[in-house]
Amino acid sequence: MQAKQTSLIGAAVLAAALLAVPGVQAQGLKHYDSSKKSFWEHPPADWFLGDETEAQKGLAPKAPPATGVPMEEIQATLKTIKLPKGFHISLWASDVPSARQMAWGDKGTLFVGAFGVGNVYAITGPEGKKEVKVILKGLKMPTGIAFRNGALYVADIDKIYKYDNAEASLDNMPAPQVVYDDMPSYVAHGWKYLVFDKEGWLWVPFGPPFNIGIPPVAVSQIRRVNPENGLAEIRALGVRNSVGGDIDPRTGDYWFSENARDWLSDNTPSDKLNHISRMGEHFGYPYCHQGNLPDPKFAMGHKCSEFTPPVLNLGAHVAPLGMKFYTGKMFPAEYKNNIFLAEHGSWNRHVYQGARIMRIIVDPKGKHAKQEVFASGWLKGKQDFHGRPADVIVAPDGALLVADDWANAIYRISYGK
Amino acid sequence: MAISAAAAAGAADPAAGKVKFEPCLACHGSGPAPQGEVAPLLAGQPDNFLQWQLVYFRTETRKDASMTPISLLLSNADIRNIGAYLSSLPPPTPPESKDERPDLTEAGEQLAKANHCASCHLDGFVGKDAIPRLAGQREAYLLKALRDFKSGARRGGGVAAMPDAVYPLSDEGLQALAHYLSRLR
Repeated sequence: MQAKQTSLIGAAVLAAALLAVPGVQAQGLKHYDSSKKSFWEHPPADWFLGDETEAQKGLAPKAPPATGVPMEEIQATLKTIKLPKGFHISLWASDVPSARQMAWGDKGTLFVGAFGVGNVYAITGPEGKKEVKVILKGLKMPTGIAFRNGALYVADIDKIYKYDNAEASLDNMPAPQVVYDDMPSYVAHGWKYLVFDKEGWLWVPFGPPFNIGIPPVAVSQIRRVNPENGLAEIRALGVRNSVGGDIDPRTGDYWFSENARDWLSDNTPSDKLNHISRMGEHFGYPYCHQGNLPDPKFAMGHKCSEFTPPVLNLGAHVAPLGMKFYTGKMFPAEYKNNIFLAEHGSWNRHVYQGARIMRIIVDPKGKHAKQEVFASGWLKGKQDFHGRPADVIVAPDGALLVADDWANAIYRISYGK
Repeated sequence: MAISAAAAAGAADPAAGKVKFEPCLACHGSGPAPQGEVAPLLAGQPDNFLQWQLVYFRTETRKDASMTPISLLLSNADIRNIGAYLSSLPPPTPPESKDERPDLTEAGEQLAKANHCASCHLDGFVGKDAIPRLAGQREAYLLKALRDFKSGARRGGGVAAMPDAVYPLSDEGLQALAHYLSRLR
């Protein structure tokens, strides 16, 4: 009660101060006190902001073009994409608004989730004549999808839905079953990515509803969920916003990408690639970033040595999203079991970076990691994009598909001929 | 060179947008909206905001009995053209009139500040990119939009979480915001 009264008085004083000096709030630097529970009970609309510096004023997430990028511009961009020798990129499907995570059906249908619009798509038909069907609409933010034993699974912020016999029902999807709903309803960092392991459990990330702070205990973690019976276990703690991961075909372990906090600087902290090697590991958030950088406000006396370090620091504000181990047969042998990772690109940085596909070579224990740029060319000037890779998936023929939620397109990267 | 030529080929055509928008003037023109319709003024809104709303209607992310069927008839090129046309127009200026509710105006101004509305909608509430202009919008429409966000009836906008922004506000607060913003010039 005491705390509530204090915060009410605080708000009144703040409002009075703002009224007394017209425009001070808009002109001054923004300060966000996310250290209190009240911040995340109802995150403000600008929850992604942080304590900005004079130099950072005006940086904000960039809204994608509503109708994607016109076909001629996409084709022109693809001609400029840089790839290693012998690789080629082409437009595989277009007009897939806000395309995010992809998943293959048993019979060759590519399912695609979405971010800005509440759609899930099915892409069918022969190469060069792909047809994009909206099979689900009106969902909140169905970014994460997976497919297993004929059923499509869709993570929509606070529920995971199962659609049985999905591939045979594209024109008339069945009513879904809710297979898991022990999930907070925050839209803020509440969008998900779904990965099945061999045992049929889903790996599901839960992001904190702000940039930085002490999160509600139900988030900043990765859970393993059994959609057959709704049981779940917490596999990793101290995770910020993860929207990508995969099971290592060599070991069955889960690896994941993680977006580090914003508003610290252009070059820190680095986004990360992580590997969960034992139950309940803590990856550092919000106390420690990039394995060696205590948070200036929220370290709370912790040392970075208490936490699991990243396998690899990927760079600041590159925004790593979807990733896959390469299990196809089309690419040269040295690509086997390498990780392909889609970097969505910056917003909280004066000169954007990322917006490319990285190749990561790493042993099954997470040692000897190295990364190289695999596909690049989607950055446009200092703060704009031609496209933004959001996910990758290996096609049955071994090609790599890339989902782009800026251009609303799916690309195909192939090797040879 | 290839890119600039291609960009020109895909560029929006405001003149075509004007033609396409003509039937919309019945509700969205500067005259009074037909009985039963609470439609916003669209002149001078940011291009990407206009386009996104049409895409939300077309994908049924945002549901509306009037706009959903209309939006289904629009191609991507139509949407780009309409956005280019409307965003090129000067925004509406509300007529000079005596403020019948100065108490609401003051309460609305205070709420707008306390809730960081200008963080996204910018100083003067002029909007930018995918964020709408609020200044000078019809009061009835602003109130409808705020109520729809609060009730969860309106979706779309990804991380721009308007439902969370209006959650702590009372209906009186929404009325105050709508009144204040509608009178801004």
